Amino acid sequence: MTYRGVSQKLTTLVDYAHMASAEKGAASSGTDNLGSEETRPRPATTSAISPSLSEQRFEDLLEAAPDGIIEVDQDGNIQLANAAVERMFGYTRAELLNRPVDLLVPQASRGMHHTHRAAYWSHPVTRPMGSGLELLAERKDGKSIPVEISLSPTHYKDGFRVTAIIRDISARRAADQKLREIQELHTRQLATANEQLEARNREVERANRLKSEFLASMSHELRTPLHTIIGFAELLGEQLEGPLNSKQQRFVEHIHRDSLHLLELINDILDLSKIEAGHLEIHPTAFEFSMALGEVLATVRHPALAKSISLESVCENGLNIEADRVRIKEVLYNLLSNAVKFTPEHGAIRVKVGAAAGHVEISVDDSGIGIPAEEQASIFDAFHQVGATTRGVREGTGLGLAITKRLVEQHGGKISVESAPGRGSKFTVTLPLRNAAVKVKDFEER
Amino acid sequence: MRKILIADDRAPSRELIREILEISGYEVVEACDGGEALEKARELTPDLILLDIEMPTLGGFDVIRQLRTDPRFAVTPIVALTASAMQGDREKALQAGFTGYISKPVRLAALRAEVARLLQ
Ligand SMILES: Nc1ncnc2c1ncn2[C@@H]1O[C@H](COP(=O)(O)OP(=O)(O)OP(=O)(O)O)[C@@H](O)[C@H]1O
Ligand SMILES: [Mg+2]
Repeated sequence: MTYRGVSQKLTTLVDYAHMASAEKGAASSGTDNLGSEETRPRPATTSAISPSLSEQRFEDLLEAAPDGIIEVDQDGNIQLANAAVERMFGYTRAELLNRPVDLLVPQASRGMHHTHRAAYWSHPVTRPMGSGLELLAERKDGKSIPVEISLSPTHYKDGFRVTAIIRDISARRAADQKLREIQELHTRQLATANEQLEARNREVERANRLKSEFLASMSHELRTPLHTIIGFAELLGEQLEGPLNSKQQRFVEHIHRDSLHLLELINDILDLSKIEAGHLEIHPTAFEFSMALGEVLATVRHPALAKSISLESVCENGLNIEADRVRIKEVLYNLLSNAVKFTPEHGAIRVKVGAAAGHVEISVDDSGIGIPAEEQASIFDAFHQVGATTRGVREGTGLGLAITKRLVEQHGGKISVESAPGRGSKFTVTLPLRNAAVKVKDFEER
Repeated sequence: MRKILIADDRAPSRELIREILEISGYEVVEACDGGEALEKARELTPDLILLDIEMPTLGGFDVIRQLRTDPRFAVTPIVALTASAMQGDREKALQAGFTGYISKPVRLAALRAEVARLLQ
């Protein structure tokens, strides 16, 4: 090989080395062998290196290159091949040198390859081969490998040669393919997840519809007999068919009051589902607080007495409030019935009601079993009962405080608890005296 | 004497309404389903009709549709008296042409007041 030829090759290869290091991600680890600028000084010009040294450097670079490098003369015969070519194609160099380059071209493309090669000689510039096409090369064992090839012409005294740098891109192709598969998998999984979500939504809608239908028919079926029970009790109470004796009057009153209570229960059950759906509405009226409290105390007095629990209440006289009377009674009842339920025999319950700064503060204080600190927030969640404390006190569903909290908040108020296990509990409700809640149209007829 | 037709498939309910209204001095005619309600209405042209909504054969909504197309009943007060008391039921009734809506269980005072108001 002439000195000039070698130095030109070197220039080409040095260029190539640059190209390869710029493309580090795709190049194999062999790139390192090309030598980085820090570890091996790159010749500034080829003339600065002696021919023999230059020749050796060229050989080193050529052999270390991770890509296959061949040189083909104008007749299409291979004049040079590096180690990477041997690895890539499975031929020894002896099998390649002076053999037609067609050896490495798949059978199907050989005809075209010939034409292309002729065209290249008429316009020899450095360029990628078959850009935009998926090039294949053929190994000795007949297997095809996807390759990228860049061509650069080399001028010799006796004419041109072309240097082809061949990069095996099987790994990249495989990675691309893998990526596509993963993307497709994700797309499919996403589609499945969407379908499942839609099915679930339909299911939820259906369940909601069924629930509404159930509630509507339950309400209808319970109201129908209550209609005649309440109606006839009222009629009897009017005594238009003749006077009742005092006992009979009392019996009729019991029937009347309890059937009205039953009606309230039905409304409450419907409210519960409205609370869950976020549709709770309140109907504020002005009333005297002590009256409402008195009515509730009357209902818990008996069960408290049965456990010898003392029931004390202090309520400011003439304290008027604008709120939903039925709901406020429900709040009081829930707190008081809890106090009775969770206070052992001979305990004490104290109710205190006072007004200050536009608010009324109601506290229900018991000497009962108390609530551990870590449970004090969750008792306001629906269906939450303190396991240890409710043991032995099995009645109830854990809805009382959940409803109570919602009702209080709907009135623009707050509820809190202070308690310690074994030391009793104190629930405090603060309500605005004037109701700020929007008055809405009746949700339900009463 | 003012004549009131009550249509309800439950006998106790009819008896209750009859009692409440007769005490107040009205003449009460009963129908035990929608079909009979139509017949009696056409035959007796009552001053006021209290219609249950859920009745066998012909429901309250069917009855009112047929009655309202009849010029004789174009302005007759017709009140829904029903145990359907969920959200929207009142609006549905008024939209269907009912003059008023009373939910069950009925309170005596409320029913009397409403009837008196409509027959003024
Ligand atoms: N005064 C109290 N003393 C001790 N623990 C209480 C007290 N009030 C409530 N708790 C605890 O909070 C839990 C929730 O109370 P909540 O009123 O919501 O449900 P419940 O009383 O068990 O059932 P429900 O009120 O639905 O009949 C109770 O189960 C109990 O563990
Ligand atoms: Mg409770």
